[in-house]
Amino acid sequence: MGQDLLPPLLSAPGVETWAFYILTTLSICLAIAVLADRVVIRSGFILIGVFGTISGIFLLLSAQFLALAQIMIYAVGITLMVVIALMLTNPRLEREQAVVYYDESLPPLAKIFASCKRNLSLWVSVLSFVTLYSALIGENHWPLSDQAVSPDAVKVLGEALVTNYSIPFEFSSVLLLAALMGAVMLAKGESKNRDDDNVAIVDEAKKQENNLALQR
Amino acid sequence: MQNVVTVKEPQSSVNLALGYALFAAAVVGSYAGVLFTPTGIERIFTNHYDFWACLGLALAGWIVRSVGGHKGVIVTMTVLASFIILTLHQPMLLRYLTFAALLFSMGLYGMVQSRNAVRVLLSIELMLNAVNINLIAFSRYVDPVALKGQLFVIFVLTVAAAEAAVGLAVVLAIYRSRQTVDMDKFTLLKW
Repeated sequence: MGQDLLPPLLSAPGVETWAFYILTTLSICLAIAVLADRVVIRSGFILIGVFGTISGIFLLLSAQFLALAQIMIYAVGITLMVVIALMLTNPRLEREQAVVYYDESLPPLAKIFASCKRNLSLWVSVLSFVTLYSALIGENHWPLSDQAVSPDAVKVLGEALVTNYSIPFEFSSVLLLAALMGAVMLAKGESKNRDDDNVAIVDEAKKQENNLALQR
Repeated sequence: MQNVVTVKEPQSSVNLALGYALFAAAVVGSYAGVLFTPTGIERIFTNHYDFWACLGLALAGWIVRSVGGHKGVIVTMTVLASFIILTLHQPMLLRYLTFAALLFSMGLYGMVQSRNAVRVLLSIELMLNAVNINLIAFSRYVDPVALKGQLFVIFVLTVAAAEAAVGLAVVLAIYRSRQTVDMDKFTLLKW
């Protein structure tokens, strides 16, 4: 029934624009929170919200099947796995300590450039966005189609998966099997021959490394 | 072992020159996308009031920040206002593509910047989602009958699930041997 309701609702004037801006506003705020929150487990939970809003955007693009798959795979499966991994690792280390490089003795202009260098990854990502955006608005030769998405999109997808795209489909199942087996192997491997000598050696090496890092 | 650590900015001129060169290369590269289209130069100088508006917004945010505003609020407002300025007069497909580019860049920043290995994996998931939005937007507006973009999204979802499983298993394995998830301490591949 929802499949019949969605297209006329979206074709009303202004509805798609308003829905787009509401969803993207929520999504951008939540994504910034994911990146900026200092407690990693909280940002893992906020990521559920990002995936929920992105599945709303999939609904706007009339991809109902993929919206539900997005919620089931990402918002439930992957986020749950991330949270479990965070609980298995040390919760004491969750709060990240940012190292602040700061030198008061530099002249003002050099300070500005030092901050640019310190935030180089920020500048790289901002400029990558600017590059992508200018490439997008420079390109307007896309063969846009006026047709709406066919109401039996799931039927089209299923038929394509078992006819034209059957080999990638089979290979993706093999890939999933291999990756899950590898993940189980990696996560299960208990080191059985871990005796006290090895622990002492590892601790000594770690201490030396910490000393080196502090002297640097 | 020292207790007080003073870290100083390395002041060698080679580093500074490298920084200048990278900055200049990035600025030039950001305009190259438009520059190589026909009538690209005129478009940059006459038609790009939106870029200048975003730049002014970022400058205003910087000033407010230096006066003492809260950092997260300023960053969020700047990103949101820039996004709305850049997309308001565009067709619908371009809006979705711009949103995907924004999410991708944010995921890139988080992937490079964060020191916790699990957060790096979260940022990679963000980037994969941005790619999915791109594919679905193209399949909606360019190819609404055969829906090839949605097919590719199904494959991307599969690979993303596999990648998350393997990545988290690797993080667990490294944590077991090193007792840390800090990216700066993963020096296994350093020679």
